[in-house]
Order: sequence, then structure tokens, then C-alpha cells
Amino acid sequence: MGTQVKDVIIKPDAPNTLLLDKHADYIAAYGSKKDDYEYTLSEYLRMSGIYWGLTVMDLMGQLSRMNREEIIEFIKSCQHDCGGISASIGHDPHLLYTLSAVQILSLYDSINVIDVEKVVDYVKGLQQEDGSFAGDKWGEIDTRFSFCAVATLALLGKLDEINMDKAVEFVLSCMNFDGGFGCRPDSESHAGQIYCCTGFLSITGQLHKVNADLLGWWLCERQLPSGGLNGRPEKLPDVCYSWWVLASLKIIGRIHWIDKAKLRSFILACQDEETGGFADRPGDMVDPFHTLFGVAGLSLLGDEQIKPVNPVFCMPEDVLQRVGLQPDLLS
Amino acid sequence: MHGRVKVKSTAQQEEEKRKEREKKLKAFVSARDAVLRKRSAGEHDEEALQLTQQLLSSNPDFATLWNYRREVLLQLETSREKDEVQKLYESELHFIEACLKVNPKSYGCWHHRSWVNTRLPQPDWTRELGLCDRCLSLDERNFHCWDYRRVVVKESGVSVEQELQFTDRLIGSNFSNYSSWHYRSTLLPQLHPQPAPDSASNTSPSPTASPQIHSHRIFNCLCQLCDLPPGSVSDISNEHNLTVHWTEKYTHRDCALYTGEHRDQLLVCVCGRSELSVEKSSVLQAELQSCNQLLELEPQNKWCLLTIILLMRALDPLGHEKETLAHFQTLKEVDPMRSSYYSDLCSKFLIENTILKMEYAEVRVFSLSNKNLTTLCHLDQLLLVTHINLSSNQLLRLPPQFAMLQCLEVLEADDNAIESLEGLYHLPKLEEVSLRNNQICKLSDLESLASCTKLTRLDLRGNPVHKTANIDSELSQLLPLVTALSL
Repeated sequence: MGTQVKDVIIKPDAPNTLLLDKHADYIAAYGSKKDDYEYTLSEYLRMSGIYWGLTVMDLMGQLSRMNREEIIEFIKSCQHDCGGISASIGHDPHLLYTLSAVQILSLYDSINVIDVEKVVDYVKGLQQEDGSFAGDKWGEIDTRFSFCAVATLALLGKLDEINMDKAVEFVLSCMNFDGGFGCRPDSESHAGQIYCCTGFLSITGQLHKVNADLLGWWLCERQLPSGGLNGRPEKLPDVCYSWWVLASLKIIGRIHWIDKAKLRSFILACQDEETGGFADRPGDMVDPFHTLFGVAGLSLLGDEQIKPVNPVFCMPEDVLQRVGLQPDLLS
Repeated sequence: MHGRVKVKSTAQQEEEKRKEREKKLKAFVSARDAVLRKRSAGEHDEEALQLTQQLLSSNPDFATLWNYRREVLLQLETSREKDEVQKLYESELHFIEACLKVNPKSYGCWHHRSWVNTRLPQPDWTRELGLCDRCLSLDERNFHCWDYRRVVVKESGVSVEQELQFTDRLIGSNFSNYSSWHYRSTLLPQLHPQPAPDSASNTSPSPTASPQIHSHRIFNCLCQLCDLPPGSVSDISNEHNLTVHWTEKYTHRDCALYTGEHRDQLLVCVCGRSELSVEKSSVLQAELQSCNQLLELEPQNKWCLLTIILLMRALDPLGHEKETLAHFQTLKEVDPMRSSYYSDLCSKFLIENTILKMEYAEVRVFSLSNKNLTTLCHLDQLLLVTHINLSSNQLLRLPPQFAMLQCLEVLEADDNAIESLEGLYHLPKLEEVSLRNNQICKLSDLESLASCTKLTRLDLRGNPVHKTANIDSELSQLLPLVTALSL
């Protein structure tokens, strides 16, 4: 009777302890085999891939195993004349990779290896009349880019350079009947977008505009019987939503509305005992993206073997303290 | 990256797979290098279109290639007649559709299609709507497609009614269709716009102008100053209180203003009450009946239980209080993962009911004891309270908003699980605090109390903090003004 609930079943022999060393080994080795198929095909997002790898290593206290000098040189060669930064050499600049680059340089306390003024110009130049941000000169509008813009400027200490009121107005115009947010006005609520918009509102000091009880309910309804979280109603659970949903709940002060023990079990079950790393769901192939968000999710749940992670920036709290950024969270 | 199952295979299968991927990789790398070489050389020609076509068909997320393709198309436009441009971009649409078949969720593909429609001398919105219909029939939750549909609808002037009918069809064939329901939530208000908020109608004897008070400014105001626009309150010197009525969105609000000890400090006590018309009431009443019938068939259905609770609250929060509490209990049993949410929601409703029962807004003694409260809220509506009893609940903290209770003189909060007293700071009238049997563990948990300069009586019996070394002397140093201290 009734529709089937889309979910996964966690097998009894699924991993149930945190295999931190295996994950560190997995990330440290990732990308060293430059002729790997997946690695090459994902060149179009390389800058974000590096940010995912470095951040998870830092959260595990293993950042020193990564090649700092090589990465910094790589970032320098990805800044274009317009100030924007691309995912890799020969690719075009975009806000997504500009943010990832600035995040990496913040981890390494080396912001000034790039032309900061030009980055600010690039970000400013992408704001539209209605307050929204395009991802690049080709004009795709998405609340993800509003988040990228303010997060980038916040890390550079240059939030005052854009039209804040309009930027806020646009993001709020994307709020839906369920308290959530979509890509653009009238777009369906989606956990990824909600993370971006609550993160945006936190950075811009506008969290009081969120209906925390309504949105918190929508977010806690993402938890499925397996304990995992999905990104919107009637979708399968995915470990990356342990980040998008959980961080959003933390930002709006409602993280206690999900069952933490069950979520932890789900995240641990997504580990691969053989190769290290996390997959989107138990039994699937691992990748650095899901590895970061699995570990970051566990950090938000209070795992003491992992450094505290900031729910707005998805970076270690100690890095943000050094930068002097303490965005508001609702209580 | 998503949904790739890890398949165990034999050594031979592994080797075959490895050879296959090596071949694919070589082909990809050589095509990619050729494209990027051409682009660096500034070549915008047919060959560029062919090379990018090859790569994008299986790698539609390689965004730079779409950018290059757009540059080529723009270049080709300059040397073509209008009808050739039309053909050029129509063939581009065919290409994009082929890419979408492979990957219907590529941001790059959908954005490029939107871009092409801005370059087409004659876009065919009917065809585009048809594409959306087909795409949604394959995956009704594809938000890229829904977003693209909204653009098509806007550009081609499809009516709201037509789109509503479209959602009717989708929901009719597959009830589980959140995307359609969401779309309806944006269509219905267009069809039935809410009346514009009217300025306040004054029904009190006091003469007031029509204020447009933004409640969020009031609620965020931690001090007693009321942020009213000039001219909205007149002649207060002879009044003990003023009542202001206004409409905000869909609810009527009352605001009773009291003069404090200082003429320029006005305390605001807001009792928000939603007044339903007879029509709305009977609709909701009918819904409640239906839901109750459904509940008889499925007593463990959490959606039904929650909806009944919300309907009862809208109709008669006080009258339905007992039933509401019983339903919350059932909810926590049938949906234990969310029991924290239900506890907090129930706490909120109980606090609202207690506020509703306050006969006069001037009530100064407020009791919330023994209500299984897990959270506090609406503290902004208790600004005049002098005595508050929170004993025998499940509170973990006194949140920052507690500091709004500027008139508070006595706090009873025994028998909770309070660890944090964040909100107990700068309360200028607070004299007596009882926190027996809580979870105050460290001296630092009590630091905020030092800012409450009238505090003289403090009861901390039954808290772990009493085990702290030299606790008596530490406390008398931290809180020298406290004369009656019980540990």
C-alpha cells in the first residue's frame, strides 16, 4: 500500500568504524597517476578537485602530505587577465573555480600569490542589475554563484565591493513555499542550493530572513530510514547531502532535528575498506568529492578525530579563525 | 561521480577494462589537445565545431568547450545571411538535444540551449515546450528541464491555466511529484493574487496614524525602543497604553504599547493572532474531517498526524490542545528519527497557547512549568514579565534571546538539563535565580550572571559545578553581590 520509499539498505558487513588513515592514503595518491581515466576526464573541475582533496587532508591533520609549491604555481597559472581563475590551464575562468582557488590559498595562507584586486574586479563585474551573479561572461545565473561571489570576497576581506542589498534581494527572491531555495526565482528547493543560500545569508548577516522552523523541517525530512540524507523529497540518499543538508541545519541552528547516530552509521557505511575514500552510497565507487563531504559531515556530527569544520565555508575552523572570519549562525 | 556501482571482476576482465579505458583516454587527450591548440591559435571554423562536437557529446560538463563553440558560432554569424544563421542555430539545437539524451542533467547543455534561443532569428517555442514535455516524461524531477520550461513559458506567453493543467496531468498519472506541486505553488498565486497589504485600521480610542510596522525589526529589537515611523504615534503623554492594529501579509496583528518609567522608552508587547474568515474556516474544517477519516484507516501515518495538528492549530489552538499533545506523542513513536523536531514544535505550540491564555497583555507572572519543553521561543512576547517559571522541563539552555526579558526579576528553572546560561546577561532587574538540578558544570558557565547587577539570590543545588575545587570562593569572586547562595 502506498508508494515505495526510495532508499538503500545497509548491509550488516558494511564498515562501521572511521578509517581515517586509509582516506588520507587515498587522497595523497589521487592524481599522482596522471594517466588515470577519471582524473583526466575531470580536468574541467580540477581546481575544485584540489580544494576537496586539500580540505579533507587538512581536516584529518594530513595537509603536509600534499604538494604545496606545485599547487600554488598551478593556481598562479590559472588566473586570467580578467582576474578570474579557471579550473585548469587552458580552461576558461569561472566563479566556481575562483572560489576554490581562493579557498586553497586561504588554507595555505598564500592569498597574495594572485592579483587580489583583479579577482575582486572579476567578481564585481559578474553581478547583474537584479542583484544576481552570473557564473562567467556567458551569463548563466544561479544562486550557487551568489554564494561563490560573497564567499570569495569574504575570504579576501572585500565584501563591501558589491551591491549587497541587491544581492540579498535576489537570493531571497529564490525562497520557496517550503522555506527552501532553488537555482533561480521559482526553481524547486534543493539541498545544494539551500546550502549556498543559507551560507550566503550567513556571510551577509541576513539569517533572520530565513524561516528556520519551516526550512529546518524540510531539511530534517531529508533523512531516510537508512539514516542517510537525500537532496530533495523522494530521491536516493547520498553522502554529499550529509554535507549540504547538515551544514544548512547547523547554520540555521536546527542540527539536532536529525538522528545523528543513524546518519553517522550511513556515512561510515559509504567508506571503501579496500581503497579508502567515500562513495555516494554504500558499495559504489569512491571519489575525492564524496570523501570530503563524508569526513566534513562526520566533523559536524562531532567526531573528535576530525578537526572542527566551518559549516558556511566547508573549511577547517582554525583556518577561518586565522583569516578572522566568524560568520553568524542561528541558535 | 554519482551512482557508479563498484563491480568486482576477474583479473582478465580488469585487464580488458584497463586496455579499453587506455584507448578511450588516448582518444580524449588527443582531441582535447587539438581543440585547445586551435583555440589558442584563434581559429573559429567548422573544424572547431566538429572537434568540440566529438568531445561534448560524451563530456558535456567540459564547459570551456561550450564557450569555444559559442565563440565560433558568433564568428560564423557575421558572415551569414539571416536564413543561414537560422539553419546554423537549428542544427545546434539538434546537437544539444543529442547531448541531452546522453546527459539530461548537464548545466552546460541547458545553458547553451537557452543561449542559442537568444541568437535564433526565429525561436520555435512550441518545439521547445515539446522538448520539455518529452524530457519530463522521462524524468519528472529534472529541475534543469523545469527551469528551462519556465523560460519557454515566459517567452512564448503560455497561460498560467495551461501550465496548471499540465501539472494536473503529471500529478494525475504519478502522485509523487514534488516538482509539479512546487510549480503549482508558484502558479496559483499568479492566478489568485493576494490583496495588497492595507494600512492599519485603527479601532482603539487612541488616535494614531497608519503605521507600517515591520515586525521583524521589532522582534530583533533587544531593547525596549520601538522603531515606529515618525507621526505614527501621537499624543502619548496622556495615555497609559495604546493599541495599534495592522495587517501584515495574511495575518492581523495587534500591538499594545505601554509607557515605561521613562517617557521615551516604550515597551512593545505583540500578540500575533491569525483571524480566519468564515469561508477559510469551513474549508479547513472540511480538511480536518477528511484527515481524521484517513487517520482511522492509517493510524500510524505521520503525514496525516502532522497535518491534523496543523489544521487544529489554525482553527482552534486552545480547544484542541489535549488532542494535539496526544498526536505529538504518537508522532514521536511512529517517526522516532524526527522526535527532536516534534518535541521542539510541540514546545512552541504549548508556549503559544500559554501566551494566548494570558488574559491581559499586562500579565507579569508567566508559568511554563511541567510542559516537556525542549526549546524556548516567542520570548519577544514576554517583555513585560517579571516572574517566569520554567521548572520541570527538558531545556538544555537559556538561549541568547532570553536577554530580551528586561523586566525579569525572578527566574525559576529547576529540574531541567540546562548547561548554558548564554541568555542570562544584562538583565537589570533580575534579583533571584533558581537553577536546582540542572547540568551546570563549570564556573565559566556562570560568567554571564556577573552582568546582572541586582542578582542577590542564586540556587545552584544539584548541579555538577558544586564539585569544582574551591567553588564557594570562586563564586563569591565572580558574583560578589550574591548574598544568598545555595550549592
